[in-house]
Amino acid sequence: MKQEQTQHRPKRYGMVIDLDKCTGCGSCMVACMAENNVSFKKDESDKLLSITWMRVYKITNGKPFPDTDICYIPRPCQHCAGQHEGHSPCVSVCPATATDYSRETGIVSQIYTRCFGCRYCMAACPYHARYFNWWDPVWPDGMEKYLNPDVSPRMRGVVEKCSFCFQRYQAAKNKAYLEGRRELEEDEYQTACTQACPAGAIVFGDLNNPDHLVHKMVDPDLKHGGRPRNPEVFRLLERLGTNPKVYYKSGRQWVRKAGDNYLPGEKPGADMHKSHS
Amino acid sequence: MKVDRRSFLSLLIGGAAGTALSPLPWKLTDDLSIWTQNWPWTPVPPRGESYYETTTCTLCPGGCGIKVRKIDQRCVKIEGADEHPVNKGGVCILGLSGLQLLYGPTRIRTPLKRVGKRGEGKWEPVSWDQALTRLADKLKEVRAQGAPEKAACLLDSSRGTVGHLFRRLMTVYGSPNFFTMPSVEDAYRAALKLTQGIEARVGFDLENADFVLSFGCGLLDGWGSPVRVFKANSTWKENHATVVQIEPRLSNTAAKADHWLAIKPGSEAELALAMANVIVGRNLYRSEFVDGFCENFQGLKRILALHTPEAAAAATGLAPEVVVKWAVEFARASRPVALYGRGQGRTAAGSLRQCMAVMLLNALVGAVNRAGGMWTVPDYDYIGWEEPELDEVARAGLERPRADGAGSGKYTPASSLVQRLLGSGAGQLPEVLMVARCNPLYSLPENGAVKDNFDKIPFVVSFSSFMDETAANADLVLPEHVYLERLEDVPVTAGLSCPVIGLCQPVTEPRWDTRSLGDVVIALARKIGDSAAAAFQWDDYEACLKETLEDKWDTLEERGFWYDAEFRPPAWEDGEGKFRLAGGKLDEVLQADEIVPAGDPAKFPLILVPYDSIRLAHDYIGDPPFMIKAVGDDVLKGKDVCVQINPATARKFAVSEGSIVQLITPVGKARVRVHLDEAVMPGVLYVPRGLGHTAYDAYLAGKGINVNALIGSLEDPASGFDAAWGIRAKLAKV
Amino acid sequence: MSSQEDKVKTLSETPADCQAGQGSGGGPFIVLFFIIGFVASLVVGWVIFPKVLYSQKSQPFDFNHRLHLEQVDDGCQSCHFFREDGSFAGVPKLEQCIDCHEDVQGESEDEAVFVEQYVAKEREVPWLIYSRQPNCVFFPHAAHIFGAKLECRTCHGDTGTSESLKPYEENRITGYSRDIWGRNIAGFKSNTWDRMKMDDCAQCHETAGIHDSSVQTGRDACFVCHK
Repeated sequence: MKQEQTQHRPKRYGMVIDLDKCTGCGSCMVACMAENNVSFKKDESDKLLSITWMRVYKITNGKPFPDTDICYIPRPCQHCAGQHEGHSPCVSVCPATATDYSRETGIVSQIYTRCFGCRYCMAACPYHARYFNWWDPVWPDGMEKYLNPDVSPRMRGVVEKCSFCFQRYQAAKNKAYLEGRRELEEDEYQTACTQACPAGAIVFGDLNNPDHLVHKMVDPDLKHGGRPRNPEVFRLLERLGTNPKVYYKSGRQWVRKAGDNYLPGEKPGADMHKSHS
Repeated sequence: MKVDRRSFLSLLIGGAAGTALSPLPWKLTDDLSIWTQNWPWTPVPPRGESYYETTTCTLCPGGCGIKVRKIDQRCVKIEGADEHPVNKGGVCILGLSGLQLLYGPTRIRTPLKRVGKRGEGKWEPVSWDQALTRLADKLKEVRAQGAPEKAACLLDSSRGTVGHLFRRLMTVYGSPNFFTMPSVEDAYRAALKLTQGIEARVGFDLENADFVLSFGCGLLDGWGSPVRVFKANSTWKENHATVVQIEPRLSNTAAKADHWLAIKPGSEAELALAMANVIVGRNLYRSEFVDGFCENFQGLKRILALHTPEAAAAATGLAPEVVVKWAVEFARASRPVALYGRGQGRTAAGSLRQCMAVMLLNALVGAVNRAGGMWTVPDYDYIGWEEPELDEVARAGLERPRADGAGSGKYTPASSLVQRLLGSGAGQLPEVLMVARCNPLYSLPENGAVKDNFDKIPFVVSFSSFMDETAANADLVLPEHVYLERLEDVPVTAGLSCPVIGLCQPVTEPRWDTRSLGDVVIALARKIGDSAAAAFQWDDYEACLKETLEDKWDTLEERGFWYDAEFRPPAWEDGEGKFRLAGGKLDEVLQADEIVPAGDPAKFPLILVPYDSIRLAHDYIGDPPFMIKAVGDDVLKGKDVCVQINPATARKFAVSEGSIVQLITPVGKARVRVHLDEAVMPGVLYVPRGLGHTAYDAYLAGKGINVNALIGSLEDPASGFDAAWGIRAKLAKV
Repeated sequence: MSSQEDKVKTLSETPADCQAGQGSGGGPFIVLFFIIGFVASLVVGWVIFPKVLYSQKSQPFDFNHRLHLEQVDDGCQSCHFFREDGSFAGVPKLEQCIDCHEDVQGESEDEAVFVEQYVAKEREVPWLIYSRQPNCVFFPHAAHIFGAKLECRTCHGDTGTSESLKPYEENRITGYSRDIWGRNIAGFKSNTWDRMKMDDCAQCHETAGIHDSSVQTGRDACFVCHK
């Protein structure tokens, strides 16, 4: 039994988002809300209080009209591996064991019934990917009918975030077990945002698997925390060393540069490996 | 024995010791901690069998195939249907929010009769029979006066069996006043008729184009069939096609385009004509098409002579060499296409001159009925019902002119001009107006005037599923099923290059006491009786649909759509069909005056232009809660809509980020919040469409302003279409 | 005025009271009271508390698993089957029962209730489910049956050979079935199927050697059994 388990190649589920294809339409945000029972309030315009596991940020190149340019950056939980695998910023500070990193999938989990709402993880997350339930979720009468039974609705006082639609992994595993398989095909487990994206800008899969498109696009350097070898691919705040598993691709340099904090005149990617020396 | 203090304490200590050795505290601690995890008001979604049912989305004209994930009887998620030819698995933000419409609180649950004043919100639920009788009586009353043309109906479009049933009802009743909501497709259709003399629709073979020259067409802002265009855009990226977006604001389309030409608003026609001038002047046109299949090239040359790059430079603000450069690149591309658009193109048809100028560019480069070009797609012709028998009254009524003037005289190119009727109040208002699948009281420009004219119509009937603005101001509401509850054909136009008919199938039982609109029309005709009843012999709508789609029905039922993948537009052959480039009405169109926004520039130094956002639904459907949640705080903040203004302009008018100001135009004023944005042209203010609802629920109503209340309409001199693209404006302190 | 009087009275009485206590209420009684308290609380904790904690509910009608198991070919999965997507259907729906139970076959009163109240009226039977896990739990039957090749009885005991349904006991605080915590109020178990708490899952996972994916605990990651 034990042997059979350890023979499994661990997965590193990850995502690459093509920012040149992304149109900023927001389908990923709503697909996520619909899949994951994300609640909504009457006023959602205070974005600090608005729960969006997947949020599309808008950035500009800061130039005046008509040289200005904008780009949208969809931001799910980055599922950071950290400096050594599992030392994600949020996992390492959780005093309740409510958030965890799985070496089997590389996914950072959040268990709502375990969370007691201290919000250390929110303070630790450099990506603002975690959200606190300041209020109990309320669905207008009748709307609770569309809730997905595969995802637990949250209660007031807990933190929630993107799970890479883990319930879909569980469902896919179920099917695989029924068919006598242990391994999943690439298309069997896809997140809701990936599936919905009308531009096909999101690619999801196992970064450890060279057959998966996400691996081919990123060409991750797995010895160095999965750093992308594809020069058009970058990660957000690479130099923090959080080693996220969400990658972005853009042909525009200013966009790649906006993914991290650089000194004036410094080129993105130039000093990455020295950042923690 | 006396219980003293010490014995009592002893008892307690004994009790404590015993309790500690019993499971009580440990079990209770465990149970209480579990109790804190489950509040009774946090819903627990029931588990059950998960499966999918497919249908067609009708929330916009796009016609995407969707599959609805169900858990037992509940619908829990909408996803794109992978095999569907329109969206190939993708789904847009509105489509994804559909279940909030199905289960939401804005549904109308039963037929309603107004009891209070109009718009007061006082209703009395009535039975379907009572409601239909009331409407039929009203219609019979109008008809008895010998004026059947005083009954009118207004639909989103005339497509499909439901559109045709309404049209048939109006015909047999005797009214020519069958209106449809304006759309940019009206302009394509008119242009096609003028150039090729045929009644057909325009499709674009976007996927195969390698150079896309878009004149304000909101390709990535919801134009056409949005998911299909998004996919085409990704194909362009993969194939390194060139996309040039021409518009004054850095929209999502402009941001994703390879090149953005920021021109002064309203100067698109000037630019297109100047580009045509360059292409002709430098002999860059495809002579095999122009010389082979076009008529009156000389006439066009004469017209184009005035439209030099220099003239265009003055109008657009671009340098003359930029105009020349892009004209040359466009003409030299192997499969170029030019698109006319106006954002999503669902508010007005716009200037026919502009549409025509863009179409001429396609003709000059031979991008007509060619791979990657503009295609002539025949109208769907599966509705082959026998002509109804008309009585005396009906024949007389149909002879009378349409109240909006469309189709005759100056307005020949148009088939419906509802803006003229309800906005400008140009024609005689109907006595009975039936409104289905549109929300004119919200989505037509010149909102105030539309409301005033609406108030003058004695009897308004709404068939809306939702308590939208029009339904809220109706006298009678006969709610129809929402799309997830009904069976219906969905012939898709929306710029598709191939014919696709989707089948909308019920994926859930009707939630409330609503009906299928087709059944309502049939029942209404029966109630009216006589020749009307005789023209509607079907048992019910389902029977009508099956009979109508006879040869396609099995395919539709099995696959959920019918698709002619092999369709190719008619090839150009000698002697057949000609493309007219100039002459007659065409000259009139091309030489028409430019559309200048209303208002005195001295009093109103700025220009207000509405913009479309894919995250804001602005026609029949209002933003469901998920969508409004996805709207950025640079668009909506609290209850205030943000007006986008260039920082330079802001400095000039001494307003700063976040300040609350009055936005004043010649037709109205509203409170807005200033948002400085380098993405907009100096001197131009931008406000999104889709906000400022007064109806719907607390998640949507009362947020921002309806920009239609601030802008007017301007009649296109050659067609009567509403060609206003903006209005003069100023900012004032609150 | 009266309160003042009371105070005086209390003060004057106290010393006498103390003396009395010292004299007569000492030693053996204190122990006696201790024992009374001790025994009483043990009785409360072990006997009364479980009775108060759980409310007894009866199933809509009785069901004989043994009888049915004899009739079917595919064991438990004949009725408690897996759907094509690998999910577990759980308690059968009316649809499955209806093949045989269109009409009353036997003489059992329970069957008559079933056919008349449910089959005839097309109402699903509102069974109370003994092993229903909390909403935050994702329990994949497929992984355990096909992956780990466990038998049903490992977790569900001898339900399959039972002739009648035991009463359903619901925890008044948590709303969960008693079977989750187990019959034994102290949480002791002698069989694998006696309890269904998280610790019991973890214990089995540990013996099976699949307990090392979590960074936090070094055991199974949370996102294995939770959702």
